[in-house]
Amino acid sequence: MSVDLSMPVLVVDDYKTMIRIIRNLLKQLGFSNVDDASDGKAALEKLNGKKYGLIISDWNMEPMTGYELLKEVRTNETMNRTPFIMVTAESKTENVIAAKKAGVNNYIVKPFNAATLKQKIDAVFGD
Amino acid sequence: MVSRDNTELHAAVERLRKCKDLDLDDALALAETSVRALTKFAKTHDADTDVKLQAVAGKVASLKEGISLLQANHLRHTHIPEAGRELEETLAATETAASSIMEAAEAIMDADRSCPDAYLETVNEHVMAIFEACAFQDITGQRISKVRENLDSIKTRVARFADAVSTTDSQTPVCDKEEKRKKRKKDLILNGPAGEGEGVSQDDIDSLMAG
Repeated sequence: MSVDLSMPVLVVDDYKTMIRIIRNLLKQLGFSNVDDASDGKAALEKLNGKKYGLIISDWNMEPMTGYELLKEVRTNETMNRTPFIMVTAESKTENVIAAKKAGVNNYIVKPFNAATLKQKIDAVFGD
Repeated sequence: MVSRDNTELHAAVERLRKCKDLDLDDALALAETSVRALTKFAKTHDADTDVKLQAVAGKVASLKEGISLLQANHLRHTHIPEAGRELEETLAATETAASSIMEAAEAIMDADRSCPDAYLETVNEHVMAIFEACAFQDITGQRISKVRENLDSIKTRVARFADAVSTTDSQTPVCDKEEKRKKRKKDLILNGPAGEGEGVSQDDIDSLMAG
Protein backbone atom coordinates (compact mmCIF):
# COMPACT_ATOMS: atom_id res chain seq x y z
CA MET A 1 0.00 0.00 0.00
CA SER A 2 1.48 3.35 -1.03
CA VAL A 3 1.11 6.56 0.96
CA ASP A 4 -1.61 8.88 -0.33
CA LEU A 5 0.12 12.26 -0.28
CA SER A 6 -3.17 14.12 -0.63
CA MET A 7 -4.69 12.66 2.55
CA PRO A 8 -5.37 15.12 5.37
CA VAL A 9 -2.74 14.93 8.14
CA LEU A 10 -3.30 16.33 11.63
CA VAL A 11 -0.20 17.52 13.50
CA VAL A 12 -0.72 18.01 17.26
CA ASP A 13 1.88 19.90 19.31
CA ASP A 14 1.77 22.72 21.84
CA TYR A 15 4.93 24.34 20.41
CA LYS A 16 4.30 26.40 17.29
CA THR A 17 7.94 25.92 16.29
CA MET A 18 7.57 22.13 16.32
CA ILE A 19 4.35 22.31 14.31
CA ARG A 20 6.19 24.45 11.77
CA ILE A 21 9.12 22.00 11.62
CA ILE A 22 6.81 18.99 11.09
CA ARG A 23 4.72 20.91 8.53
CA ASN A 24 7.89 21.74 6.54
CA LEU A 25 9.17 18.17 6.75
CA LEU A 26 5.79 16.86 5.57
CA LYS A 27 5.82 19.41 2.75
CA GLN A 28 9.27 18.16 1.72
CA LEU A 29 7.89 14.60 1.74
CA GLY A 30 5.07 15.72 -0.58
CA PHE A 31 2.13 16.08 1.85
CA SER A 32 0.02 19.10 0.96
CA ASN A 33 -3.05 18.80 3.22
CA VAL A 34 -1.83 19.42 6.75
CA ASP A 35 -3.83 20.81 9.69
CA ASP A 36 -2.63 21.41 13.24
CA ALA A 37 -3.91 21.53 16.81
CA SER A 38 -2.28 22.72 20.02
CA ASP A 39 -3.33 19.86 22.33
CA GLY A 40 -5.42 16.68 22.49
CA LYS A 41 -8.67 18.50 23.18
CA ALA A 42 -8.27 20.83 20.19
CA ALA A 43 -7.28 17.81 18.07
CA LEU A 44 -10.43 15.90 19.03
CA GLU A 45 -12.55 18.85 17.94
CA LYS A 46 -10.85 18.78 14.53
CA LEU A 47 -11.12 14.98 14.31
CA ASN A 48 -14.84 15.16 15.02
CA GLY A 49 -15.33 17.56 12.12
CA LYS A 50 -13.06 15.98 9.47
CA LYS A 51 -11.71 12.59 8.52
CA TYR A 52 -7.91 12.47 8.72
CA GLY A 53 -5.62 9.90 7.15
CA LEU A 54 -2.86 10.29 9.72
CA ILE A 55 -2.36 11.83 13.18
CA ILE A 56 1.12 12.90 14.27
CA SER A 57 1.06 13.92 17.92
CA ASP A 58 3.32 15.08 20.73
CA TRP A 59 2.81 13.43 24.15
CA ASN A 60 3.30 16.18 26.75
CA MET A 61 0.61 18.84 26.25
CA GLU A 62 -2.02 20.62 28.33
CA PRO A 63 -4.87 20.29 29.05
CA MET A 64 -5.11 16.99 27.13
CA THR A 65 -1.94 15.00 26.44
CA GLY A 66 -1.18 13.04 23.27
CA TYR A 67 -1.44 9.83 25.29
CA GLU A 68 -5.00 10.72 26.33
CA LEU A 69 -5.77 11.70 22.72
CA LEU A 70 -4.50 8.32 21.51
CA LYS A 71 -6.74 6.48 23.98
CA GLU A 72 -9.75 8.66 23.00
CA VAL A 73 -9.12 8.04 19.29
CA ARG A 74 -8.83 4.29 19.78
CA THR A 75 -12.12 4.08 21.68
CA ASN A 76 -14.04 6.16 19.12
CA GLU A 77 -15.68 4.04 16.42
CA THR A 78 -15.46 6.68 13.70
CA MET A 79 -11.72 7.28 14.06
CA ASN A 80 -10.27 4.21 15.80
CA ARG A 81 -8.52 3.02 12.62
CA THR A 82 -6.75 6.34 11.94
CA PRO A 83 -2.97 5.77 11.94
CA PHE A 84 -1.36 7.49 14.91
CA ILE A 85 2.34 8.35 15.21
CA MET A 86 3.66 9.68 18.51
CA VAL A 87 6.50 12.21 18.12
CA THR A 88 7.82 13.06 21.56
CA ALA A 89 10.74 13.74 23.88
CA GLU A 90 9.28 11.13 26.27
CA SER A 91 11.81 8.36 25.76
CA LYS A 92 11.40 6.12 28.80
CA THR A 93 10.58 2.47 28.14
CA GLU A 94 7.35 2.80 30.15
CA ASN A 95 6.14 5.52 27.74
CA VAL A 96 6.78 3.39 24.65
CA ILE A 97 5.10 0.36 26.22
CA ALA A 98 2.07 2.39 27.35
CA ALA A 99 1.68 3.98 23.90
CA LYS A 100 1.97 0.59 22.20
CA LYS A 101 -0.61 -0.87 24.56
CA ALA A 102 -2.93 2.06 23.81
CA GLY A 103 -2.67 1.35 20.08
CA VAL A 104 -0.04 3.70 18.67
CA ASN A 105 1.19 2.75 15.17
CA ASN A 106 4.68 4.16 15.51
CA TYR A 107 6.81 6.14 17.94
CA ILE A 108 9.46 8.75 17.13
CA VAL A 109 11.70 10.25 19.77
CA LYS A 110 12.65 13.94 19.52
CA PRO A 111 14.93 15.28 18.15
CA PHE A 112 14.35 13.50 14.87
CA ASN A 113 15.05 14.07 11.17
CA ALA A 114 13.12 13.95 7.91
CA ALA A 115 14.43 10.47 7.08
CA THR A 116 13.09 9.04 10.36
CA LEU A 117 9.70 10.70 9.84
CA LYS A 118 9.50 9.33 6.28
CA GLN A 119 10.58 5.86 7.37
CA LYS A 120 7.93 5.71 10.12
CA ILE A 121 5.15 7.05 7.88
CA ASP A 122 6.10 4.49 5.22
CA ALA A 123 6.12 1.73 7.85
CA VAL A 124 2.65 2.71 9.08
CA PHE A 125 1.25 2.53 5.54
CA GLY A 126 3.07 -0.71 4.80
CA ASP A 127 5.55 0.59 2.23
CA MET B 1 15.19 38.66 88.95
CA VAL B 2 12.76 35.80 88.24
CA SER B 3 9.90 38.20 88.69
CA ARG B 4 11.35 40.57 86.05
CA ASP B 5 11.65 37.62 83.58
CA ASN B 6 8.07 36.59 84.29
CA THR B 7 6.92 40.11 83.50
CA GLU B 8 8.94 40.00 80.29
CA LEU B 9 7.42 36.63 79.43
CA HIS B 10 3.88 37.89 80.05
CA ALA B 11 4.58 40.92 77.88
CA ALA B 12 5.90 38.72 75.04
CA VAL B 13 2.85 36.43 75.23
CA GLU B 14 0.52 39.45 75.18
CA ARG B 15 2.36 40.87 72.17
CA LEU B 16 1.94 37.61 70.31
CA ARG B 17 -1.73 37.33 71.24
CA LYS B 18 -2.40 40.71 69.64
CA CYS B 19 -0.36 39.85 66.55
CA LYS B 20 -2.41 38.23 63.76
CA ASP B 21 0.47 37.15 61.52
CA LEU B 22 2.76 35.12 63.72
CA ASP B 23 5.94 34.05 62.08
CA LEU B 24 8.79 31.77 63.08
CA ASP B 25 10.86 34.68 64.44
CA ASP B 26 8.03 35.64 66.85
CA ALA B 27 7.72 32.05 68.04
CA LEU B 28 11.47 31.76 68.53
CA ALA B 29 11.59 35.07 70.41
CA LEU B 30 8.92 33.72 72.80
CA ALA B 31 10.82 30.46 73.14
CA GLU B 32 14.00 32.37 74.02
CA THR B 33 12.25 34.51 76.63
CA SER B 34 10.58 31.40 78.08
CA VAL B 35 13.84 29.50 78.27
CA ARG B 36 15.61 32.47 79.92
CA ALA B 37 12.90 32.83 82.50
CA LEU B 38 12.71 29.12 83.18
CA THR B 39 16.50 28.73 83.35
CA LYS B 40 16.81 31.35 86.08
CA PHE B 41 13.90 29.78 87.91
CA ALA B 42 15.34 26.27 87.59
CA LYS B 43 18.79 27.34 88.80
CA THR B 44 17.29 27.98 92.18
CA HIS B 45 15.65 24.52 92.25
CA ASP B 46 17.32 21.78 90.18
CA ALA B 47 20.76 21.59 88.56
CA ASP B 48 19.66 18.84 86.13
CA THR B 49 16.75 20.88 84.81
CA ASP B 50 19.14 23.78 84.41
CA VAL B 51 21.42 21.70 82.13
CA LYS B 52 18.43 20.60 80.02
CA LEU B 53 17.16 24.15 79.70
CA GLN B 54 20.63 25.32 78.70
CA ALA B 55 20.59 22.70 75.91
CA VAL B 56 17.15 23.89 74.76
CA ALA B 57 18.40 27.48 74.80
CA GLY B 58 21.40 26.46 72.68
CA LYS B 59 19.13 24.72 70.17
CA VAL B 60 16.83 27.75 69.92
CA ALA B 61 19.82 30.03 69.34
CA SER B 62 21.16 27.69 66.64
CA LEU B 63 17.72 27.58 64.94
CA LYS B 64 17.58 31.38 64.96
CA GLU B 65 20.98 31.58 63.36
CA GLY B 66 20.04 28.97 60.75
CA ILE B 67 16.88 30.86 59.83
CA SER B 68 18.64 34.19 59.53
CA LEU B 69 21.40 32.64 57.36
CA LEU B 70 18.76 31.28 54.98
CA GLN B 71 17.77 34.87 54.11
CA ALA B 72 14.40 33.52 52.99
CA ASN B 73 12.94 36.93 52.14
CA HIS B 74 15.91 37.81 49.98
CA LEU B 75 15.58 34.48 48.18
CA ARG B 76 11.84 34.96 47.67
CA HIS B 77 12.03 38.56 46.47
CA THR B 78 15.31 38.56 44.55
CA HIS B 79 16.96 35.25 43.61
CA ILE B 80 13.89 33.22 42.66
CA PRO B 81 12.01 35.91 40.62
CA GLU B 82 15.28 36.83 38.88
CA ALA B 83 15.85 33.20 37.86
CA GLY B 84 12.27 33.01 36.55
CA ARG B 85 12.74 36.21 34.54
CA GLU B 86 16.00 34.98 33.00
CA LEU B 87 14.37 31.69 31.98
CA GLU B 88 11.40 33.50 30.42
CA GLU B 89 13.79 35.75 28.45
CA THR B 90 15.74 32.68 27.36
CA LEU B 91 12.55 30.97 26.17
CA ALA B 92 11.46 34.06 24.25
CA ALA B 93 14.90 34.51 22.63
CA THR B 94 15.01 30.84 21.63
CA GLU B 95 11.55 31.07 20.05
CA THR B 96 12.45 34.24 18.17
CA ALA B 97 15.67 32.72 16.87
CA ALA B 98 13.96 29.46 15.82
CA SER B 99 11.30 31.47 14.02
CA SER B 100 13.91 33.62 12.19
CA ILE B 101 15.90 30.53 11.18
CA MET B 102 12.78 28.79 9.89
CA GLU B 103 11.63 31.88 8.00
CA ALA B 104 15.01 31.99 6.25
CA ALA B 105 14.96 28.25 5.51
CA GLU B 106 11.40 28.47 4.18
CA ALA B 107 12.38 31.41 1.96
CA ILE B 108 15.26 29.34 0.53
CA MET B 109 12.94 26.36 -0.02
CA ASP B 110 10.37 28.52 -1.82
CA ALA B 111 12.86 30.64 -3.79
CA ASP B 112 12.55 30.77 -7.59
CA ARG B 113 15.37 28.67 -9.06
CA SER B 114 14.81 29.65 -12.69
CA CYS B 115 17.42 32.43 -12.53
CA PRO B 116 20.65 31.08 -10.94
CA ASP B 117 22.11 34.52 -10.09
CA ALA B 118 18.94 35.75 -8.37
CA TYR B 119 18.57 32.40 -6.61
CA LEU B 120 22.17 32.55 -5.34
CA GLU B 121 21.60 36.08 -4.05
CA THR B 122 18.42 34.98 -2.22
CA VAL B 123 20.18 31.98 -0.70
CA ASN B 124 23.16 34.12 0.47
CA GLU B 125 20.86 36.70 2.00
CA HIS B 126 18.90 34.10 3.98
CA VAL B 127 22.00 32.15 5.01
CA MET B 128 23.32 35.40 6.55
CA ALA B 129 19.98 35.79 8.37
CA ILE B 130 20.44 32.27 9.78
CA PHE B 131 23.97 33.13 11.02
CA GLU B 132 22.65 36.32 12.66
CA ALA B 133 19.78 34.48 14.36
CA CYS B 134 22.23 31.93 15.79
CA ALA B 135 23.78 34.74 17.88
CA PHE B 136 20.95 34.11 20.35
CA GLN B 137 23.03 31.27 21.79
CA ASP B 138 25.59 33.68 23.26
CA ILE B 139 22.95 35.74 25.11
CA THR B 140 20.88 32.77 26.27
CA GLY B 141 24.11 31.08 27.43
CA GLN B 142 24.84 34.09 29.64
CA ARG B 143 21.27 34.13 30.96
CA ILE B 144 21.41 30.42 31.81
CA SER B 145 24.73 30.99 33.61
CA LYS B 146 23.00 33.62 35.77
CA VAL B 147 20.21 31.15 36.57
CA ARG B 148 22.80 28.52 37.48
CA GLU B 149 24.53 31.01 39.82
CA ASN B 150 21.18 31.76 41.45
CA LEU B 151 20.43 28.06 41.91
CA ASP B 152 23.89 27.50 43.41
CA SER B 153 23.28 30.33 45.87
CA ILE B 154 19.85 28.94 46.83
CA LYS B 155 21.33 25.44 47.18
CA THR B 156 24.08 26.71 49.51
CA ARG B 157 21.65 28.56 51.77
CA VAL B 158 19.10 25.72 51.90
CA ALA B 159 21.88 23.21 52.69
CA ARG B 160 23.17 25.46 55.51
CA PHE B 161 19.62 25.81 56.84
CA ALA B 162 18.99 22.04 56.66
CA ASP B 163 22.24 21.43 58.60
CA ALA B 164 21.27 24.02 61.22
CA VAL B 165 17.77 22.66 61.86
CA SER B 166 18.73 18.98 61.33
CA THR B 167 15.17 17.73 61.07
CA THR B 168 13.74 14.98 58.86
CA ASP B 169 11.69 16.04 55.82
CA SER B 170 7.92 15.98 56.17
CA GLN B 171 6.02 13.78 53.72
CA THR B 172 3.16 16.29 53.64
CA PRO B 173 2.77 17.93 50.20
CA VAL B 174 3.83 21.59 50.08
CA CYS B 175 0.55 22.61 48.41
CA ASP B 176 -2.45 21.12 46.57
CA LYS B 177 -1.22 22.49 43.26
CA GLU B 178 2.08 20.64 43.56
CA GLU B 179 0.31 17.45 44.63
CA LYS B 180 -2.04 17.66 41.61
CA ARG B 181 0.91 18.29 39.29
CA LYS B 182 2.72 15.22 40.70
CA LYS B 183 -0.39 13.05 40.32
CA ARG B 184 -0.94 14.20 36.72
CA LYS B 185 2.68 13.43 35.86
CA LYS B 186 2.39 9.95 37.37
CA ASP B 187 -1.02 9.11 35.84
CA LEU B 188 -0.15 10.37 32.36
CA ILE B 189 3.47 9.13 32.40
CA LEU B 190 4.93 12.61 31.89
CA ASN B 191 8.64 12.06 32.43
CA GLY B 192 9.82 14.92 30.19
CA PRO B 193 12.98 14.86 28.08
CA ALA B 194 15.46 12.26 29.30
CA GLY B 195 18.84 13.29 30.67
CA GLU B 196 22.20 12.08 29.36
CA GLY B 197 22.32 8.30 29.64
CA GLU B 198 18.61 8.05 30.48
CA GLY B 199 15.79 6.99 28.20
CA VAL B 200 15.99 4.73 25.17
CA SER B 201 17.27 5.35 21.63
CA GLN B 202 15.16 5.35 18.47
CA ASP B 203 16.58 1.89 17.65
CA ASP B 204 15.50 0.57 21.07
CA ILE B 205 12.05 2.11 20.55
CA ASP B 206 11.79 0.43 17.14
CA SER B 207 12.63 -2.92 18.78
CA LEU B 208 10.01 -2.35 21.49
CA MET B 209 7.41 -1.45 18.85
CA ALA B 210 8.30 -4.52 16.77
CA GLY B 211 8.35 -6.90 19.74
